[in-house]
Amino acid sequence: MLLVEDLHAGYGASEVLTGTTLAVKPGTVVALIGANGAGKTTTMRAISGGIHPTKGRVVLDGKEVQGLDASAIARLGLAHSPEGRKVFGPLSVEDNLLLGAYSRLPRFLGYRAKASADLDRVYDLFPKLRERSGQAAGTLSGGEQQMLAIGRALMARPKVMLLDEPSMGLAPVIVQEVFRTISRLKAEGITLLLVEQFAKSALEVADYAYVMERGRIAVEGTPAELSRNERVIAAYLG
Amino acid sequence: MNAAIIGQMAISGALMGLVYALIAYGFQLTYATSKSINFGQGELVMVSAFFSLTLTNLGLSQHWGLGLSYGLMVPGGLIFGAIMGLVVERAGVRLALEQKSEGWILLSIILGLFFFSAAENIWGRDDRPFPTPIPEEPFHVLGLAIGPREVAVAVGVLGIMGLIELLKRKTLLGKAFEAVSADRDAAELMGISATRTVMLSYGLSGSVAALAGILVSPITTVGPTMASAIILKAFSVAVVAGLDSGFGVVLVGMFLGALESLASFYLGSGWREAPGLVLLILALALRPTGVFGKATIRKV
Repeated sequence: MLLVEDLHAGYGASEVLTGTTLAVKPGTVVALIGANGAGKTTTMRAISGGIHPTKGRVVLDGKEVQGLDASAIARLGLAHSPEGRKVFGPLSVEDNLLLGAYSRLPRFLGYRAKASADLDRVYDLFPKLRERSGQAAGTLSGGEQQMLAIGRALMARPKVMLLDEPSMGLAPVIVQEVFRTISRLKAEGITLLLVEQFAKSALEVADYAYVMERGRIAVEGTPAELSRNERVIAAYLG
Repeated sequence: MNAAIIGQMAISGALMGLVYALIAYGFQLTYATSKSINFGQGELVMVSAFFSLTLTNLGLSQHWGLGLSYGLMVPGGLIFGAIMGLVVERAGVRLALEQKSEGWILLSIILGLFFFSAAENIWGRDDRPFPTPIPEEPFHVLGLAIGPREVAVAVGVLGIMGLIELLKRKTLLGKAFEAVSADRDAAELMGISATRTVMLSYGLSGSVAALAGILVSPITTVGPTMASAIILKAFSVAVVAGLDSGFGVVLVGMFLGALESLASFYLGSGWREAPGLVLLILALALRPTGVFGKATIRKV
């Protein structure tokens, strides 16, 4: 469903990704773990078009998308819930969710009715968001903003979802809730690429995982295989 | 008697002040989506006014009558303004923003100078009257004489601002506009094209400038320099009110208009421009984010 081949990308003259290759099969959850600065977030941004790769291919559902604008890639079925959540602070919770479905909805009127089934689905998943639907997103707590960022990505009914550091800066109880949500989405058959600093929790929920080091994939395998790998245990699971 | 004169002056000044508010609102529209403004907006007001005058005269030459000619001219002028706004975006602002440079300041000034020369060559240097079916003769309310043309300014300004605000709040396109102004990169991830949204904001801003020209021309006449004083005061209003409050520019615009009118009456017409400048200096010294603006720290 998502294929990344020999991806090179960076910021200005400094190359962060030096040939990343990974694949996400339909209906699977794939974890991307690694130390800070290994290039996990850069990989996500290069896939979704936030930065343009200098070399390599990104194939989404059979179409090459490297070099396209982020908005064009999103319209092709990729939803990226970015690091730091990036909710639209001044807009209401519901408006944030509606904008998640922007590419599928009419631009002027009648969009609310057309999105109501998707809204209900997200509100059932996160009842807190229903309570706060009229509130400005910027006034939510960090955990609620994370739920909103995930809900907003789900609204797109994406073919592939990228979820970057959903546990960042959250209390342990909330982190557990985030991972319960991911398990639930997995049960519903979502195709997900997950970047996570909590390697252990990420491996528990993933079908397959990649370990990134200095801009490329160092180790890959099923969670069971990685949990037996001495190097991975020493660096990330110790 | 004195109170009546003050009231009279304040009201007719405040109605004219709405023109400053409208142009300042045009600055807010483009600033919201792209953190840039068109420094040649005054020239856009002027060329749109000239173009609208030509359209009206064209209608008159076909013996369509003043009412019909004027009525058909208004949408034509607004579309022309939108196209000019898009030209400024494409030929100037976008080139600079793609390089992440502040070059849009100079580019938009240069395009303004270009429009100015073009207007002088096409329409000449003379100030010309702008025909309008709206009568000049004032009517009286509570002892105040109010000019119908000033009322037309108020209706036009508040009408178009209300319409655009409605669009921003009620339609998904408008919410996308707000999303781009809140977080451009995140909006792109939703499938919203930031480039197209910036174009939309420049188109709207151009239409708004054209309407300002159409509304003010019957009162001031049309000429190449018609907007140079107005634009300075629109800047003052935008700075004093802040670049994110539509409500703020209306209040500040009306306040400044009233103040100017009183200053020119009591101190002499040479003092007309003083309140705007004093207000601008005070605002920059005391509250750079504007009276109604949210405090924001610009990341470098």
